Amino acid sequence: MTIRIVTDSTCDLPTAVAEQLKITVVPAYVNIGDQSFLDGIELTRAQFYRELEGYPTPPTTAAPASGAFTQVYEQLADEGATEIISIHVASKLSGVLNAARLGAEDTEVKVSLFDSQSLSMGLGLLAQVAAEAAADGRSLDEVMALLDSAVRRTYVFALLDTLEFLRRSGRVNWAQFGIGTLLKIKPLVRVFGGVLEMQEKIRTSKKATEKMIERIAELGQYERVALLHTDAPQEVEHLRHQLAHLIPAGSRPPAVLVTPAIGSHVGPRALGFAGILAS
Amino acid sequence: MTQEDIVQEPPISQKWVTCDGHQLCKLAQAGLYWLEHNCQHVNALNVFPVPDGDTGTNMLLTMRSAYNRIQNGDEGHVGKVAQELSQGALMGARGNSGVILSQIWRGLAKSLKNKAAFTTVDLAEALQEAADTAYKGVMRPVEGTILTVIREGAEEAQDAAEKSQDLRFMTERVLERCQQSLARTPDLLPILKQAGVVDSGGQGLVYLFEGMLRYVHGQLDEMENGAAAGVTAVPAQALAAPEQGNLEFPYDVQFILMGENLDVLKVRADIDAMGDSTVVVGDEKVIKVHIHVKDPGEPISYGIRHGLISDVVVENMQMQMEEIIQAAPAEAGQRGSLTRSPLVNEGPIIEPGQIGVIAVTAGAGLGRVFRSLGAAAVVNGGQTNNPSTEEIFQAIQDVPTNKIIILPNNKNIILTAEAARDLSPKDVVVVATRTAPQGISAMLSLELNGDLEAVAEAMQEMSTQVVSGEITRATRSVTLDGVAVEEGQYIGLVDGRLAVSASELDELLSPLLETMAVGECEILSLYYGEEVSQAEAETFSEQIEALYPDLEIELLAGNQPHYYYILGAE
Repeated sequence: MTIRIVTDSTCDLPTAVAEQLKITVVPAYVNIGDQSFLDGIELTRAQFYRELEGYPTPPTTAAPASGAFTQVYEQLADEGATEIISIHVASKLSGVLNAARLGAEDTEVKVSLFDSQSLSMGLGLLAQVAAEAAADGRSLDEVMALLDSAVRRTYVFALLDTLEFLRRSGRVNWAQFGIGTLLKIKPLVRVFGGVLEMQEKIRTSKKATEKMIERIAELGQYERVALLHTDAPQEVEHLRHQLAHLIPAGSRPPAVLVTPAIGSHVGPRALGFAGILAS
Repeated sequence: MTQEDIVQEPPISQKWVTCDGHQLCKLAQAGLYWLEHNCQHVNALNVFPVPDGDTGTNMLLTMRSAYNRIQNGDEGHVGKVAQELSQGALMGARGNSGVILSQIWRGLAKSLKNKAAFTTVDLAEALQEAADTAYKGVMRPVEGTILTVIREGAEEAQDAAEKSQDLRFMTERVLERCQQSLARTPDLLPILKQAGVVDSGGQGLVYLFEGMLRYVHGQLDEMENGAAAGVTAVPAQALAAPEQGNLEFPYDVQFILMGENLDVLKVRADIDAMGDSTVVVGDEKVIKVHIHVKDPGEPISYGIRHGLISDVVVENMQMQMEEIIQAAPAEAGQRGSLTRSPLVNEGPIIEPGQIGVIAVTAGAGLGRVFRSLGAAAVVNGGQTNNPSTEEIFQAIQDVPTNKIIILPNNKNIILTAEAARDLSPKDVVVVATRTAPQGISAMLSLELNGDLEAVAEAMQEMSTQVVSGEITRATRSVTLDGVAVEEGQYIGLVDGRLAVSASELDELLSPLLETMAVGECEILSLYYGEEVSQAEAETFSEQIEALYPDLEIELLAGNQPHYYYILGAE
């Protein structure tokens, strides 16, 4: 029995990690004007942030074609996979899982779909959990049970530098946020259970970071964490320092430059944290 | 693709009872062409918070991928052509609307699989299958979208098939029904109604069908866009016109450059030197180039010198801009850009059960700030213009929820607010803010769906996180809070108390900011009053910047009377 893990590019897993764990990452699309790029492939992370503020039109994103999933599933089956777990960005925030579902319906290969109810490294860490368990020889049921448990302990926080990108993304019910764009506000948002929620609206950088750390810490101890940023390399190292007490001993979590498909919705200079609480 | 590519044959003959693969290929091409032609209109319909901001682009890319599989047009078997279209759409689909479009093709292909040519009865069945497949293509089907449009179109086809064997009759009926269905989408989906638009995916589908029918009628050369074709027009504000004038770089040029060992950075630098809005991305073998230039020949020649080029698109933006300016009504023509959608509204629409905040403030600009932060209503009033209990009470009654928080934003209005609270049967809490900045700061802690008492407490706490300053003129001579003031002098208040006075505004500034302890703050919001011009306010802001270079200053028109400036330091 061979279980293979499929996810999508919104997982933010560094390429080396995905390759090492044999996780197949299906790219979403980033559209700029009427041009469309494969997330992270035709448009790399570094390139995206370098060019982001110069784009003639704000970038938008689109789910991969269902056919792309069908192809990946069949290819993995050809390589000997007997089971596939396809784990994706929260279905409440994106159509990716739906595209994967349609892709799975078009093939004989057995695919178990899983809604991560998360995004970015929240999804990435869950894919990692699944891939490691699969590599350990766990059964499909065991891996799915692990995911079921871990997804309820997975949180992603993001401190945005600007509201503009999230506002345009349409991923949140803006009226419910109760914030406009007249004043500069740094929103602290959290994704949990597939829902993106406003946690704090903060005016100053200093308080913003303090608040984020407070919100992250109040949930408890974490077994896996990752740090995220959209082109704020110094700030994220500073955050790592301030969060040292929450990072599991002996691990050095990556500071991940967020993929363009996510960066399109949060904009530049955002800081983030993804973690799975200890069970 | 240009229309000449398509209209090379006479339109389909009067008697049209079967459609073969060659004809379907032409229809698909015409549909694609028309969708492409109207793509920006579909994009403009994406008024957030509707997800997926570029439906037109996504549908176009999906349809292009479908058409690419059949473009040589040499297959006569309609089932095989449909199959290819379906495969192409499935592989190229992107975005929710693209996925649904691919499912429509898939349903059509499934139903037409064994047909060499289709009749009205076959097409009616195939459209039904397409609608069913489209519904299954989404996890939670929503009415008032492209789904409704294809379903009702299929119903109409069914009805037409019972009446006639004429495909022309059927396709005309189907298109008409789809257009009606599209026009009704705002009635089915409130979010569309709020934004004043029809569903974008439905519009894309209508354009696709319309292009096909135009081919049937031999009308593709009529270049009018949606409005002329009887399709729901895009609201004017969604197509806000750019500023008048001549573009420095009027041509939008795009192409794909293919070669060996291409140097992306070098190509980008070279291309960038030719104009603006450069996007050059790719790898050593394939590079996508996008640039706005004076001379489209320049980047294209460059491309040819460095490899092979394909997918060349040159657009004259000057002409496009003029078309838009002509189409847009005068009031929409002031400013804006084509790429940014308008805000649906400035404040939230409060629903029963949520918390409605009523802010008392003077000045339209300050009112907008409160609304943008989530206030349900703004009652006009301030220092010399205290609102009556009745006015506040009326606002309480008008906000459609039973949980109310009042921000008086002035110490003289707190009691009035409390009196209005006592009159109302609703649950009302007065958070006793004494200045506009305090109220604005309090707004940051508003959670519309939170517990009334807890939210009020958090707002109270938050209101203390800001230091307020106000600058006005003394209306009489007085000594107050230990400060002596002569009538007509400038005075500065800090958190509502008289702090400094001076004969000149410039003299007042430094001691006021010092009293406010601005040196310990990160951000200063500066709201200028109705008697101050923007230029004066900018100069004032620069003076502050000179005193506190590290301070981030936010300058906003408050339009408040009496107070030249209101300051909030955090």
